[in-house]
Amino acid sequence: MKRKVFAAMLAGIMLAGTTGCGPASAKKKGGSASGDGQEISVCLASEPGTLDPALNSSVDGATLCAHMFAGLAKWEQSESGALEIVPDLATELPEGVENDDGTVTYTYTLRDGAKWSDGKDVTAKDFEFAWNRACSPELAADYGYMFEVVQGYNEMWAENAPSDAKLSVTAKDDKTLEVTLYNKVSYWNELLAFPSYFPVREDVVSNDSWATDPSTFICNGAYTMDSWEHNSVITLVKNDSYVDAENVTMDAINFYLSDDANNMLTNYKNGSWQLIDDVPTNEIASLKASYPDNFVVAGQLGTYYISWNNNYSLLPASSSLTGADKIKAENEIRNALALIIDRNYIVDNIAQGGQIPASSFVAMGLTDADGSQFYENAGDNSYPGYYDVSADSYQKNWNSAIETLKKYYTYDEASGKFTDAPSMTYLYNTSDAHKAIAENIQGVFASIGIDMSLENQEWATFLETRKSGDFTVARNGWLADYNDPISFLDMWTTSSGNNDVQFGKGANASVAAYSIDCTDCGIDLKVTDGTWAETYDALITQIKTCADNDTRYKLMHKAEDMLMETGCLTPLYYYTDLYMIDSNVKGFFSNPLGYKYFMYCTIE
Amino acid sequence: MSTKTLVYILKRLLLAVITVWLVITVTFFVMHAVPGGPFVGEKAVSESVRKAMEAKYGLDKPLFEQYVTYLSDIVTRFDFGPSLKQRGRQVMDIISDGLQTSAYIGVIAAFLALIIGVVLGAAAALNRNKFADRCIMVVTTAFVSMPSFIMGSLLLTIFAVKLEWFPANGDAENGLILPIITLSLYPMAYITRLTRSSMLDVLGQDYIRTAKAKGVSKWKIIFGHAMKNSLIPVITYFGPMLAYIVTGSLVVEQIFAVPGIGRAFVNSITGRDYTLLMGTTIILAVLIIVMNLLSDIMYKIVDPRITLE
Repeated sequence: MKRKVFAAMLAGIMLAGTTGCGPASAKKKGGSASGDGQEISVCLASEPGTLDPALNSSVDGATLCAHMFAGLAKWEQSESGALEIVPDLATELPEGVENDDGTVTYTYTLRDGAKWSDGKDVTAKDFEFAWNRACSPELAADYGYMFEVVQGYNEMWAENAPSDAKLSVTAKDDKTLEVTLYNKVSYWNELLAFPSYFPVREDVVSNDSWATDPSTFICNGAYTMDSWEHNSVITLVKNDSYVDAENVTMDAINFYLSDDANNMLTNYKNGSWQLIDDVPTNEIASLKASYPDNFVVAGQLGTYYISWNNNYSLLPASSSLTGADKIKAENEIRNALALIIDRNYIVDNIAQGGQIPASSFVAMGLTDADGSQFYENAGDNSYPGYYDVSADSYQKNWNSAIETLKKYYTYDEASGKFTDAPSMTYLYNTSDAHKAIAENIQGVFASIGIDMSLENQEWATFLETRKSGDFTVARNGWLADYNDPISFLDMWTTSSGNNDVQFGKGANASVAAYSIDCTDCGIDLKVTDGTWAETYDALITQIKTCADNDTRYKLMHKAEDMLMETGCLTPLYYYTDLYMIDSNVKGFFSNPLGYKYFMYCTIE
Repeated sequence: MSTKTLVYILKRLLLAVITVWLVITVTFFVMHAVPGGPFVGEKAVSESVRKAMEAKYGLDKPLFEQYVTYLSDIVTRFDFGPSLKQRGRQVMDIISDGLQTSAYIGVIAAFLALIIGVVLGAAAALNRNKFADRCIMVVTTAFVSMPSFIMGSLLLTIFAVKLEWFPANGDAENGLILPIITLSLYPMAYITRLTRSSMLDVLGQDYIRTAKAKGVSKWKIIFGHAMKNSLIPVITYFGPMLAYIVTGSLVVEQIFAVPGIGRAFVNSITGRDYTLLMGTTIILAVLIIVMNLLSDIMYKIVDPRITLE
């Protein structure tokens, strides 16, 4: 009897092991051009937090949304290879009509034949609903603020806002959508192609978990969701009822879900995946050499920088400077230290991903009023930006930095080191890449007698520490959500949640050390020796309400000048997007925000 | 089953409930004491958005009130709530997805370890001090002393990267083979050593000598008399082994990108997904407690001399 029980248990285990609870998937090997159509397998990242376009806040999630939803506009690559915003569900993208009160009204007409994946018509009402939902306090989406340019947004988020507060978005009829903005916004068309602006249908999203299951995932874009094996793979198949379906060449896309760069590389090398969006840092050099045609370094609207806590004193203990004098001295010290960091070495030998040494905070790729690069016009120097970051200038920068630091620290000529600089701690989130950069900076500072220790923290803890200002120096990075410098500038207002360096906070709140003069732009804002709130915050308000495009860009340059003068932001390099793509894949493109587009791909 | 055994099992079940409650309580408060929260990111959301989200998930209430609500939701409705990071998904769904894969690799690994371990252990004992025995002992010593994250990385480097025999991604075709091997090596080596020593012990017993003297054939002695008794220590190891496999999968699933409960658990910690972290912790704790209880009961079944009190 006992033996039988034991045997039965073993048999049960065997049975369970071989049949019962196995994951129910039969995996395909992707990338085919044969038989029943074109299919591609790619890996961008791990499981997206959500695929609800209004709630999504990740780049990989946005890529998926851009494949499954059609908004009024979309990104497209022209014949010449240039990226442009073109109408998608809108018949055209008209200019706005300026109203007497300075607001601007846009009227869009929807294309005929736009359908949801369950066959119902896409109406202007769906847009009206989706936009109001996406920025509502009830949904509390990360990217709700993308609607802050639309009239009504401020009222929706005001304290004690009436529950029926809404955006100025109206469906005039099934085909006509009218929207009013607070003022002219140069990047408005780009916003229309942003996932938050994609339509969703009221009856679909009334089910809270609609976006997690293919059976309830009703969309209107180039693809529909065929299957979603959580943490494994999301498969999209071409949506024949999409208005532009005839131009979609890829029939199916498998988005594999993994965040392990080594794992991605293995699958790329063995041909399972045709595009991977990450590669192991220590393999970059060898991959560039062995896959010159497949290893792609694309531009990205982002800057890797160091943030200095504005409230941490960099003066020696013996210094008697206070108030504005102290702030100005510290600004000078930080700017001097920024000059002795060898950005070219960091980019060529540590980051190794084709990054560009940065000389400004607003990243490369963002355009100025005249369409030229914003960073090239920044700083009013003979070189682009605020420092000359060419390799040849390094020694000159170094010498000038030492001269500046001598004004505040005691210099020992014999050893070539400063003897009374305060020690500091560099905070970074645990990662080999960040660590290597931190160690390089530590070494450079040590060579002139500045003692900087390193501290790493796990991601969520790091974010909390940095946000609360509990650091001296911290690693930082910023990627823009749209091509407008304001996305790099409004984050430094006193009350911004991203104001990590604590401008206008703590001891800095009452220090009147900042000046701004916008009278040369015809703007009535001139403050000499004011606080951060009186100067920078006021300037950002001016920028956000400025109707004249040229003036607006001039003001944005002034804002960046102010930021860079504090030395609290030390840009190291402009981000690039590294990925590997199989040579057989044609017709692929990615946009400056890092979204990747596979719908017009073919595999040869 | 005797009343004594029943009382014993009831006592153990009561103890299990108390243990789970303790696990919930400690995890809940430690989790909230750790800096960072589910709604922080490189791009900070505005204060008003953060407040709106906290209100939505009840995180704006006093901590003790959140704790009481959480506990009562579990007890009354067995509801772990929605995930804070994977918006729109219920913790229960995420766990059941992950558990399927984890159970699959765990059960096969356990079974593999048991079969190979017992066979190798018996072979080593029967060839005591011979070449085969020495080889088995050297290899098992190596496996027992190597932690799974080293073993996993080693197998990944050799078989997935260098030889390319298996995929590196646990989710691809044949992708679960390497994680299963990684998970099973330690318990397999342990069972081999356990079986060998207990087999040697049994083979030296009087009743075996008697059987031999009576002229019973060698194989009949081994399978009919020695094997059964030498497996008792192996059975007691069953509970700890399953516990090892459950906890070992946390590391192994991460290395091989296996979409199991272990990976969900690790991700929930780094992402501060409070509800998912609580849910996975509770499920893993319950699993380990139940395994240990089953192992004790099985012990009683194979060895009638043991009384459960």
